[in-house]
Amino acid sequence: MMRSRILRAVLLAIPLVCCALAPAIAQEELKIGGIGPLSGGGTAWGLAVQRGVEMAVDEVNKAGGLKVGEKTFQPKLIMYDDQYTAAGGRTAAERLINLDGVKFIIGPIGSPSALAVVPITNQAKVIVLSNGYAREILKNDSGSPYNFRAMNSNIEFGPAMVKWLREHHRELKKVAIIVPNDATGQAILPTLGGTYKENGFEVWSETYERGTKEFMPLLTRMLAQNVDLLDLNSNAPGEAGLLLKQARQVGYKKTIWQVGGPSVDEIVSIAGPLANGFLSYDVFDFNDPSAKAFVEAYRAKWSGVINAQTPGWYNATKILFKAMQEAGSLDTDKVRDSLMKIEGYDAGIYGPVTWGGKSDYGVAHQLLNKFWITEVKDGAPHALSVLTPEKK
Amino acid sequence: MFSTTVLGQVFLNGISLSAIYILIALGFTLLFGIMKVVNFAHGAFAMLGGYALYYLYGVLGLPYLPAILLSALGVATAGLVLEALVFRWFYQKMFQSMIGLLGLNIAIVFTCVVLFDVYERSIPPAVDGVLVFGDLIIPTDRLLVVAIAAVVLLAFWAFMSLTSYGLAMRAAAQDVEIAETQGIRTALIYKLAFFVAIFMAALAGGIYAQIYALSPFMGDRPLMVAFIVVILGGMGSIPGAALGGIIFGFGESFLSTFYGSAVSSFVSFGAVIALLILRPWGLLGIPE
Amino acid sequence: MSASDTAIVTGQSFAVPRNVFWPSVALILVFLGGWPLFAPNPFLFTIGTFIVLNAIGATSLHLIIRTGHFSLGHAAFMGVGAYCCVLSVTRLGLPPALGLVIGMAGSALLALLIGPVVLRLTGKYFVLVTFLLGEIIRMVFVEWTSVTGGSNGISGVPPLHPSLASPIATYYVCLVASVACVALCARILSSEIGRTIDSIREAEKVAECSGVPVIRLKVSIFVLACALVGLQGGLLAFFLHYIDPTSFSMVESLNLVVMNVVGGMYSLGGPLIGTVFIVALPELLRGYVELQRVFFGIILIGVMAALPGGMVEIFGRARRLVATEMNRTVR
Repeated sequence: MMRSRILRAVLLAIPLVCCALAPAIAQEELKIGGIGPLSGGGTAWGLAVQRGVEMAVDEVNKAGGLKVGEKTFQPKLIMYDDQYTAAGGRTAAERLINLDGVKFIIGPIGSPSALAVVPITNQAKVIVLSNGYAREILKNDSGSPYNFRAMNSNIEFGPAMVKWLREHHRELKKVAIIVPNDATGQAILPTLGGTYKENGFEVWSETYERGTKEFMPLLTRMLAQNVDLLDLNSNAPGEAGLLLKQARQVGYKKTIWQVGGPSVDEIVSIAGPLANGFLSYDVFDFNDPSAKAFVEAYRAKWSGVINAQTPGWYNATKILFKAMQEAGSLDTDKVRDSLMKIEGYDAGIYGPVTWGGKSDYGVAHQLLNKFWITEVKDGAPHALSVLTPEKK
Repeated sequence: MFSTTVLGQVFLNGISLSAIYILIALGFTLLFGIMKVVNFAHGAFAMLGGYALYYLYGVLGLPYLPAILLSALGVATAGLVLEALVFRWFYQKMFQSMIGLLGLNIAIVFTCVVLFDVYERSIPPAVDGVLVFGDLIIPTDRLLVVAIAAVVLLAFWAFMSLTSYGLAMRAAAQDVEIAETQGIRTALIYKLAFFVAIFMAALAGGIYAQIYALSPFMGDRPLMVAFIVVILGGMGSIPGAALGGIIFGFGESFLSTFYGSAVSSFVSFGAVIALLILRPWGLLGIPE
Repeated sequence: MSASDTAIVTGQSFAVPRNVFWPSVALILVFLGGWPLFAPNPFLFTIGTFIVLNAIGATSLHLIIRTGHFSLGHAAFMGVGAYCCVLSVTRLGLPPALGLVIGMAGSALLALLIGPVVLRLTGKYFVLVTFLLGEIIRMVFVEWTSVTGGSNGISGVPPLHPSLASPIATYYVCLVASVACVALCARILSSEIGRTIDSIREAEKVAECSGVPVIRLKVSIFVLACALVGLQGGLLAFFLHYIDPTSFSMVESLNLVVMNVVGGMYSLGGPLIGTVFIVALPELLRGYVELQRVFFGIILIGVMAALPGGMVEIFGRARRLVATEMNRTVR
């Protein structure tokens, strides 16, 4: 027993000795955890988390580090795959907190993962900025002491969009909502359906098994309902593109739009000329002059389609860094309080920070990002209107 | 809802669905019938066919028919390498083949994720537009699919029934050991059957990717459908695969249009389970 | 048939001499119970909990495999157990310990209803039926939103007991349950019933002619195995505080099957080795997610091609190798 105690003492002493012997290392590492699906169907969104956070981290490191209080830190991202499941999210969070000693986590993106992660992180006083449409992520028994939601859920952008549609397209009366029967789809149907009904629309809805690519039978069924609006809502980009293409192929000629996604690039790529006239929710206007710096920084490292959620995660990370600086410390209670007070800080792409959601969730931990409505014209998206969610 | 227009549309949807399902199921049942391997990697080969078509037709711009034939031939030829490395350890060993080929599926899919990235791409359509007959609308690309599937099926049937190699393959499917004693070189037959099966899978994959979308995970659903269609028709039976494909395609079209997709899934699975309990060898399989 | 094929079928070459067996078991138990004291890290407790819970599923599936049937729907029964347990606790307000029993009963009841019908099918047909059944059960979890919460699942599940909420306590509770289940399976397999099970697998008709009540035995084993995996489901719910259909999908069923096949199908050590391998490997390869999956796929191919009897076969071969060497030197 004595021997193991001595051994443990020696093992503990080594890092302390290292720290004492290295006064020259002025910059300490600041580990930021990331959780998202890196395998399977959701990989595109997981990569958006990874890349968005990395861009913010690189930017700060290039500028010489993050000065918090009297010390300067080198942020570093540790990203783990959660496979979009509850067990995966739980394991990733446990590993980050207990093995890597992380106190700040960006992600997860899926509801099953987020719902499994949040009880652990709140207990460990670890700050989490996540996505996930399930209401219970923010509205739960513990009162969400340390977790925030960094992206709009449909509860935030849905009402504003439907109201806009009511005002600009008075002729539309009956809407078809087609959703996959996964966590997001099932969470959306009651709330979105309710929003439409409040705005005077008649609603017809239908679900399908996630992974289906063949929608002709479903769309034939829809045609028989005489709807004048098809809402692609929370469908994944691939499925949204196919729904639009097959709807046009089966003879549906009226309006198609998407209160969700966004998946405009993928839809244009899959449906080609059939996508003209399509309206959509968009989280970022890549054509806006203010987006240029972001796009160039992304292109310097990676090629291919930029997943539209990437700027949102970059934004979340920058806000977190700002909160650390305002708090002057890395203590999570202080950073949490400073996060909530940050209103008005502009990270450069989403405008000033606004927190909301008190009446929907009991805590004002929902970041209210501005968003766009775009229309596809001649094969390219054009921003029609900028909207902000209501602060409730 | 049960108007003639809708019924007509249901019928047309059914045909195009069946065509794709049959193409995919045929190769699967061939591999099981002759070599007794459950090819869990069948969907992966379809996916490779999709990527081959994407590069030959979408990127290099070859004319459509040569592109699709070349892509299927290319994948089948490359597949022979995997046949020598992986498949031959599992011939006549059903359970080991299930797990081993599952491993192959995972390896191929994630290698493609590393090589091609996860984003869904689309292949430009071979023909565009729709044909309109009164109230009925047929997208022309679906018609092309049905045409290609019909030609391939005919060629396959001719090969199996009219050539000596086809006869050898059918003999091997019935009883490998006896076929060997009759002088049939089973090693060659295995390679031939493998080539034909993968050729059809890659062809089906190219078409599937064109109508729907292309990604490394694209093969999962065709694999599941192939599985069910083959169970329905009888594992190892070629006419069974065709019949199973038709029944499943039309069933799905009818049930989904009139009752929604949840009902369609429950009924199809329930029907196949009932079939397995009452008549496990499928509709046209051989009772054991 | 070659010597190794015979060994695979009878599983006899893996019988370990008594004077090695019990001390090894004691050593393993001491290790499992003792390591938390030397490495008190909640993350390791989580991994440990996942390993011991999956051991329940893998060994219960092993019982079914020993009767000659491969179930591709085992995770669905885990789900039935989990949902029955959680619903009885959250909707009916019953104490969590009773919830566990209800979970086991629910899963066992379903097995009792389905078993007599599907266990009459031979090898590959049973595989296909359980595959489809697993999918149907999962779809019920997803579609029956009013009861199961659909794809969003049921969150806010309380711990098994307020005093047992800490990670280390959870680990010990799951360890005790797991050891009890594995011990039960071992006891059954080494008894007269175990030999009867093996005889059913090797030559069913002969066994029937000898008076063995084949269907009754198969159904009993099936019901027991599903009850045990239902227990795993309940414990998992209390551990994650949340259940959703994705935890009980085909992927999970396949994982349990892989644990058995890769570890070794015809000896109890097989699923235990397989469990550790399947749960621990992804954690060791965290750095490179896609490459990790490619690696995993290649390992599956390699193990199946080279060791058709699973990894346990390594021990058998090593022992035979040593025995041959020793025989040589003696002569």
